[in-house]
Amino acid sequence: MNRILLGVGILGLLVALSLPGQSAPRGPEPGGTLIIGRGVDSVTLSPYATAAPDAEVIAHLVETLYELTPEGRIVPKLAESMPRVSADGRTMTIRLRRGIRFHDGTPFDAYAVKWNFDFILNPENRVPFRGILLGEVTSVEVVDRYTVRLVLRRPFVPLLAHLTHDFLAIHSPAAVERAGGMRPPNGEPYGRQPVGTGPFRFREWVRGDRIVLERNPDYWGPRKPLLDQVVFRAIPDDGARVLALEGGQVHVAVRVPPRETTRLALNRALRIDRTNSVRTIFIAFNNQKFTDVRVRQAFNYAVNKRAIVQTVLGGAARVSDAPISPGIVGYAPIQPGGWPYDVNRARQLLAEAGHGGGLTVTILHPTGRYVQDAAVAAAIQAQLRAAGINARLQTMEWAAYLAYTNQPVDRTPVEMFMLGWGTVTGDADYGLYSLFHSSQWAPAGFNRAFYRNPQVDQLLDQARTETNPARRADLYRQAMILIWRDAPWIFLHSESQTTGVRREVQDLVVHPTERILAHTAWLRR
Amino acid sequence: MWRYLAKRLLLAVPVLFGVSVVVFAAIRLIPGDPAQIMAGQAATQEVVEEIRRSLGLDQPLPVQYLYFLRNVLHGDLGRSLFNGAPVVEELAQRFPRTVRLAFASLLVATLIGIPAGIAAATHRLSWVDTLVMVLALAGISVPVFWLGLNLILVFSVRLGWLPAFGYETWRHLILPSVTLGTASAAVIARMTRSSMLEVLGQDYVRTARAKGLPERAVVYRHALRNALIPVVTVLGLQLGTLLSGAVLTETVFAWPGIGRLLVEAVLARDYPVVQGTILLIATTFVVLNVVVDVLYALLDPRIRYT
Repeated sequence: MNRILLGVGILGLLVALSLPGQSAPRGPEPGGTLIIGRGVDSVTLSPYATAAPDAEVIAHLVETLYELTPEGRIVPKLAESMPRVSADGRTMTIRLRRGIRFHDGTPFDAYAVKWNFDFILNPENRVPFRGILLGEVTSVEVVDRYTVRLVLRRPFVPLLAHLTHDFLAIHSPAAVERAGGMRPPNGEPYGRQPVGTGPFRFREWVRGDRIVLERNPDYWGPRKPLLDQVVFRAIPDDGARVLALEGGQVHVAVRVPPRETTRLALNRALRIDRTNSVRTIFIAFNNQKFTDVRVRQAFNYAVNKRAIVQTVLGGAARVSDAPISPGIVGYAPIQPGGWPYDVNRARQLLAEAGHGGGLTVTILHPTGRYVQDAAVAAAIQAQLRAAGINARLQTMEWAAYLAYTNQPVDRTPVEMFMLGWGTVTGDADYGLYSLFHSSQWAPAGFNRAFYRNPQVDQLLDQARTETNPARRADLYRQAMILIWRDAPWIFLHSESQTTGVRREVQDLVVHPTERILAHTAWLRR
Repeated sequence: MWRYLAKRLLLAVPVLFGVSVVVFAAIRLIPGDPAQIMAGQAATQEVVEEIRRSLGLDQPLPVQYLYFLRNVLHGDLGRSLFNGAPVVEELAQRFPRTVRLAFASLLVATLIGIPAGIAAATHRLSWVDTLVMVLALAGISVPVFWLGLNLILVFSVRLGWLPAFGYETWRHLILPSVTLGTASAAVIARMTRSSMLEVLGQDYVRTARAKGLPERAVVYRHALRNALIPVVTVLGLQLGTLLSGAVLTETVFAWPGIGRLLVEAVLARDYPVVQGTILLIATTFVVLNVVVDVLYALLDPRIRYT
């Protein structure tokens, strides 16, 4: 009897052991280390790092009150619910989630939020983008332990979108203090070891080589992190990064060059993810030098954007049909298909503007900053020739480039330059106000094209305070129509992010704001 | 000998002084303003001014240089503009990795270069000689990143024998040091060959042969020692080149040494780090030169610096 029972038991056990993994679909498995290969190491992990690769790491460690989903919706994160905005639009009250602790064990509450925002609001701390992000906020009040209220000078509709920006993530005030504070401009020494509420905790940073994050076992969120560790490795050479992916030494390779994608697509161990990005690439005119709108339009007619996207970028981009990219609140296609390619029209406009005999310009472009940037510039140079425009190309290393294109209008020698802008808040204000409002001329702001149109200014100002979403969208549409016709840029394309991922990696998010997020990722074994 | 050594060391001082002036001046001639870069794109003018003041960038250049020199003489290379870490600390962390890579490469270069050069010289005008010289030409001509990527492709991706990047163990060292050492191996092979040929034509070699010594003994006991004297000079200089020229190799193999530190710092316009790195490289060169000259004097009894 006993023997039979034992036999049945063993048999049952064997059946039970052999079943899962063969028939039943397997759910997410915890454990493992995800290795992400990227082109550069971080400069700093302080809250106010401006470079995208820095933000990518920080986004695992700290969290914002609200979150921009990959689909472009704003949802509560550390906030419990959507904010309550007073009828006059001058206060925003936010209820916070309870029971959350920072990685150092200190509680997350309204005092912590106030501390973080006060730090940014204090002009002495010189936080970049302060004016753009919190510009209209005058003070932050603690209503009760889990409620904060932002008091505004005047209604400021983009504020909710701005609360999703990494600069406004909430760090542990105690940790900042313990690290010796944050010193301008980049928040060191705290930036070497950030402490937030995120799904991963900071573990180790070997400069120039790797940053190691480990799972936060006490994470508050509904979806607990599954990976034991996430490692960001700096592999600067594009070719070497792709080879490391093929060899299985990294699970993810960011910025796969277009020439490699067809070959990699044949490798069954990998997949190539193409994700839209909120980054728009353009060539800006110095609008105070190119004052004739016909000339600026002629350049737009003379460049075959579709051909560039298809050949130079291997299809990994989308021709711009508006000054900002799809997926951003306030985006509307202004000219479907993009600015048309028409060399004859370009020649005609140039002739009307008195440049019938041709035109010589200098175009600055970066090299290695955007996908195929130098090749795109070369293609444009060739295309412009057909319209009688002789373009000289000039390049500089990135830091010099940024500085060179950031001079005041009376001093700048710049005629035309290529640049990209990521509207990372997912709201048109961040992409349009910063780049086209005349109060934002360089070097104080990011309007390096020195574009000025009083009507556009007015529409953008109005849109900042317009609370009705439909009317607000209409204001942006009107502004973008004016901008499109004024052609302060050659409108080129929105980039796609081409990411190589090994098949065993599941639920990894490549966010349109150019970040790889491993919050929910896991490895199939 | 001691007088010579003292003289060589004294001569190094003006060289290093010149280097410091050039480094200091060159980096400030590049367009762009570090204060603006640090402050970020959206900073106001007064914020930029304040940063400039706090960094001493508002002072006239000669004054800035004197401060810089004073600090360097006190062993203070400043702090990184971007992460606030002391430059000395950063260099202390990264330089040993580059040194390790450079010595491994030199070892590869010597182990390949010297035997190949001897073989070519002793088999002059035979197929061995031709083969060595063709390979040496290829070794010099092949771009470092091309060679590096192909080594990764074969030994890391296809065969899976060696890691493609990182610097932790001796296995990580193999591919980068072969990549970096190849060009040096070629240079050393050519140098060894020509030096060997010259020595083999000398009277004392003929004498050695005439008294009936076996060819092996002639070549290795008598000729080689003298033939290697100029090779030592080249080796020393190659080591300097390897230490500074590791930039591409470090990039391909994601090796976090000073080559990459330099590139990163230049891209970020991190003045103190760029200055510190170049000074370190220049100093290494000068020191190596002194060492080579001294070795030369020790090896070759005909050379007496008085």
